Amino acid sequence: MITFFRRSNPFRPSPFQMVLSYLILGFWTFVVLFPIYWLVVTSFKLPSQVTQGPRYIPFVDFQPSLHAWQYIFVDVRNDTFRPYVNTVIVGLVSSIFALFIGASSAYALVRFRYRPKLGLVGVFLALVVLCVIAIALEIPWQLAVPIALALFIIAIPTLSPRMKRSLGNSDIAFWMISQRILPPVAVIIPVYVLYQQIGNATGFKLLDTRLGLIIVYIAANLPIVVWLLRDYFQSIPIELEECAQIDGASPLRIFWSIVLPLSVPGLVATFLFILVFAWNEYLFALFLSSSQAQTMPLTVAAQNATRGPQWWYMSVLILIMIAPVIVMAIVLERYIAKGLLVGAVKG
Amino acid sequence: MATTVKSSITSNQNLSSAPRSRAGASDRVTRALFIWPAVIILLFFSIFPLIVSLWLSFSRLRFTRGGVEIINVGWANYRKILLGSEQPRILGVMSQPSVEGWIFFAIIVVALIYLMVQYIRNERVTPIGFILRLALNLFLAALAWLAVSTISPGGRPGALIVTFLYVFVGIALQYLIGLGLALLTAQQLPGRRFFRVVFLLPMMITPVGVAFMFRMLTDTVVGPFSPVWKAIGLGGTSWVNNPWGARAAVIIGDVWQWTPFMFIILLAAIEAQQVEPVEAAIVDGANSWQIFRYITLPAILPVSSALVLIRMIEGFKIIDLPNVLTNGGPGTATESLTLSAFVFWRTLDIGGSAAVAYILLIVVTIVSVAFVNLVRRRFSEVA
Amino acid sequence: MLNKRDINLFVVLMMLVGLVAGCAAPVSAPAGEAGPSQPAAGEVTIDVLTFTGPQIAEPLQRRGAEFTERTGIKVNVTVVPFSDLYQKILTDLATGTNAFDVYVFAPQWMVDYVEPGYLEPLTDRVAGNAELQWDDIAPFFRDFSASYKGEIYTIPLDGDFQMVYYRTDVLDELGMEPPQTWEDYLAIAEAAHGMDMNGDGEGDYGSCISKKRAAQAYWMISSIASAYLQSQGTAQGGFFDLDTFKPLYGDNEGFRKALEVYKATTQFGPPEELNLDVGDTRGLWTAGRCALSIDWGDIGTLAIAEGSQVKDKTGAVILPGSTEVLDRATGKLVPCDANTCPHAVDGINHAPFAAFGGWSGAINAASDDATKDAAFNYLAYVSAPEQSNVDVTIGATGFNPYRISQFENLDLWIQAGMSEEAANLYLGAIKASLNSPNMVLDLRVPQNQRYQQVVLDTAISQFLAGELSLDETVKAVESGWEEITEELGRDAQRAAYLASLGVTR
Repeated sequence: MITFFRRSNPFRPSPFQMVLSYLILGFWTFVVLFPIYWLVVTSFKLPSQVTQGPRYIPFVDFQPSLHAWQYIFVDVRNDTFRPYVNTVIVGLVSSIFALFIGASSAYALVRFRYRPKLGLVGVFLALVVLCVIAIALEIPWQLAVPIALALFIIAIPTLSPRMKRSLGNSDIAFWMISQRILPPVAVIIPVYVLYQQIGNATGFKLLDTRLGLIIVYIAANLPIVVWLLRDYFQSIPIELEECAQIDGASPLRIFWSIVLPLSVPGLVATFLFILVFAWNEYLFALFLSSSQAQTMPLTVAAQNATRGPQWWYMSVLILIMIAPVIVMAIVLERYIAKGLLVGAVKG
Repeated sequence: MATTVKSSITSNQNLSSAPRSRAGASDRVTRALFIWPAVIILLFFSIFPLIVSLWLSFSRLRFTRGGVEIINVGWANYRKILLGSEQPRILGVMSQPSVEGWIFFAIIVVALIYLMVQYIRNERVTPIGFILRLALNLFLAALAWLAVSTISPGGRPGALIVTFLYVFVGIALQYLIGLGLALLTAQQLPGRRFFRVVFLLPMMITPVGVAFMFRMLTDTVVGPFSPVWKAIGLGGTSWVNNPWGARAAVIIGDVWQWTPFMFIILLAAIEAQQVEPVEAAIVDGANSWQIFRYITLPAILPVSSALVLIRMIEGFKIIDLPNVLTNGGPGTATESLTLSAFVFWRTLDIGGSAAVAYILLIVVTIVSVAFVNLVRRRFSEVA
Repeated sequence: MLNKRDINLFVVLMMLVGLVAGCAAPVSAPAGEAGPSQPAAGEVTIDVLTFTGPQIAEPLQRRGAEFTERTGIKVNVTVVPFSDLYQKILTDLATGTNAFDVYVFAPQWMVDYVEPGYLEPLTDRVAGNAELQWDDIAPFFRDFSASYKGEIYTIPLDGDFQMVYYRTDVLDELGMEPPQTWEDYLAIAEAAHGMDMNGDGEGDYGSCISKKRAAQAYWMISSIASAYLQSQGTAQGGFFDLDTFKPLYGDNEGFRKALEVYKATTQFGPPEELNLDVGDTRGLWTAGRCALSIDWGDIGTLAIAEGSQVKDKTGAVILPGSTEVLDRATGKLVPCDANTCPHAVDGINHAPFAAFGGWSGAINAASDDATKDAAFNYLAYVSAPEQSNVDVTIGATGFNPYRISQFENLDLWIQAGMSEEAANLYLGAIKASLNSPNMVLDLRVPQNQRYQQVVLDTAISQFLAGELSLDETVKAVESGWEEITEELGRDAQRAAYLASLGVTR
């Protein structure tokens, strides 16, 4: 079944091809690393050394200075430390939750069949729209929502036997991925108002809390998890699960103790992907956090103030932001390749 | 991902092999537990903002003591964007296309007609399906016409066309570079793990940071490449002052950041292909181009189309790069639709912002559906 | 296999649960009643919102710590990126989140916060506070900048208006005088362009103006246009005709002339000029690469900061003027005489532009009284001469002079590192600007951000980039402004504009 972890590779290049390959790969390595190198040098420059023109190599054409590092780590250490901790917590927690919630539904979409009726979904959407229109016409929601609910419950038994067309798992999956289409700008205001209302109504604070950000990032990352893991699970031989089922294991148990351990590479690769997204997200963080829950991308962007971009501070911040992710990428490199391998094949 | 024909077959087999009769009540609950958390979270964060934004796109906000007053203004926001004062910014300024423009447009139209004919001849045609297909083709033709007439000399592309440029040119480059690099690193080369990790790096940097980085790099006066510009006699000019130069800068930044995504997944797909056909081909004396063309390419086409779809959906939301590089300038040359929405929103024209977001949503949905129907199905069948 | 009906029912119920919450939120959006959480008695904390420094935020934090030592009241300064500050403040106030007690922002935005009643009027508190020394604040900031409809709403912490900076050594070399009119400005820029001004053997630039889109470019055009558009004193207004509320930034010779001058400066600027924001031009200035620049007071203090190449070579002068001004009735430029330019100096009409208005602190009306008092005392402490007279001489604070004692007292500046000559030039320009009865108040009608940051800024940057011709630009600005005016109500906008200009000295 799993033949892709092969050791031998049929593409054994000739010496000429090898030289050419190294040239091209070397060129792209330069393309990738030079901007990062430039960040490193810039972080050791004085402001005047940045504005006077390009200086490339420390000690050779300029005298490096630790002023930016000192500023970030000593002078404003609290303004660096707090968002950093926030970024770590928000990134890790939201990614872990998104991973498990997404993994379970990806698994469910592969192994179980769901058949929501097309007609019922249509009726539901129509009632939602009617509900909104009614509320827009100043009918109190306490009235509109129960009526819509009642209508819908009445509709289920009367309409559902007549409905032939139903949606399948692939439709659910497509619906999930299509959630990424909506531009974040359109989502933020409703979410902000919602959080604020929940805070006012129940005293449960979501604005400017890590929890608020975590919830949004879970929602934003779920589609990616489902997309990547669904195909991964498909590649896992079903025989194992059938054996377990015959032995009387519940689906939950099968999932937890057979499927997940088998999918570690896929889970790790997916985790790294969504961690990167949550780690780097800017727009939601900007609006849903103000002081306590601010994350690092905001701190980076904020270095562009009325006095122009503070390139040196910005470089330091970007570098300390990517450092842990790079370490993870290096440590987990093997998993990434393997993990995406299977997920990718099925597309 | 929207399932391909192939994968839905596999899943159906899996489904049928699951014993139906023994699905008791508790099993039902467990199974529901598997999918509902995700569905509820997504429903909550999709339907709710979707409706609220739709409502906002028909309204204007006024700030009053202790809150906000929401005034219904009907289609005014959409009128302003599509027909009124914001039309040049969002849709662009049209002019008579040049000869090349006409040729390009003709090619597109011919291609669409060809697809239409293919559809009628090869597939089961239902009236609704036919109308939808026709509408889709008309929409694509209109889009092509808008692109051709605004890019021609005398015209000026608006945010819609610029966004399409970013998406299509950017993704094409990302795909080609990503594929090339993946093919190279799939070879048996010492040190390929090093390249793999290095090539992943750009994806790890926050997009805002990448944008600022490229602002440093594109500076022709104090940026690292200024000697290069001077050497080729461009020392006194700046490419971010030129509309096409600025757009190119945005695309380069986008390619730099997102090629890794294409690269890593294509690499995985290439390494996952069956070894036997390749070995057989080598025995038969096929050269590497033939192996690529007839074995590797078909094997990676399905994943490619999925990748392109994902990147397309993400790419349409591009905002950080144009915003940081030039703030959408020079003029409005680099403004993307999301950036337009953001500019409206920054100055509290929330209705206008929501309207732009909705236009974007509709366009992306149509393009994605078109992509799935016109392109993805084909490739999946090939596979 | 699952029972279909059960599943469906389950789906529906879950969806509706989500929906109930969903529908509930937007409907009850206006909910300003809910106040901020009340602090425990005896323990007052002031939450301050401003943008990410070092500048502005740094002095607020530093003075905040001192204030805590003095009074035991804690000061929390929160920062957000500058470009998002306006929106963030309004969202906080309008949605009733009220997470902050003090907002430090540009008074230009005030009208959007004051009109709905979000900000606390400070007139009585100002009258009752001696430490603040209100009368020491320059009249323009006191009467126009800090006030709206006769009430004081903000405490100035900074003085913002634009001036022209020039390189004294370059002008000496050229044998030219500092610019008095915009024609002079162009002549100097042309003469100086290409000279080597910092001794690195490369040609430098005649004029460096920040022209980046969505940055500061739209203030620069107002600095030029005002000389042609406003001549009868501050109360005449430099943006709209007071009677009809038709934009002056429209089809008239004055605005056209200003656009021509603005575009002409680009030929003598750095190649990247259209993508430079004010931070970049300041960097170029201190690196000694520019002969002229339009900027706020910052360059004066940055020129003496560490690493500057232009210490004692930086001169400042009031914004250049014009010998011709707009006749609003005919739309033509007419020569200056006693009637057309009552405030002219040597026949030249100067109209210094108070762009942005200077960072000022305001207090949230929804905070409780104890917090309001504490917040006011904090702002008064930061603004009091004892503190601010030191802070304005430090380039890194971003605070510029706004008090009479600050530009009358030369010693302050010499102590900070300026030569006597440079201090004289710098303070002379500040004094000339602030004493001008023809100072131009920045646009302060509701949603001025849309007039300036969207319509004007977009049209100007398209004009500079060559996307729009002169005629198209004029038309784009005029029709864009008219559209917003129509949308928001001409009478209401006009009333607000009159209110912002309403105070006479």
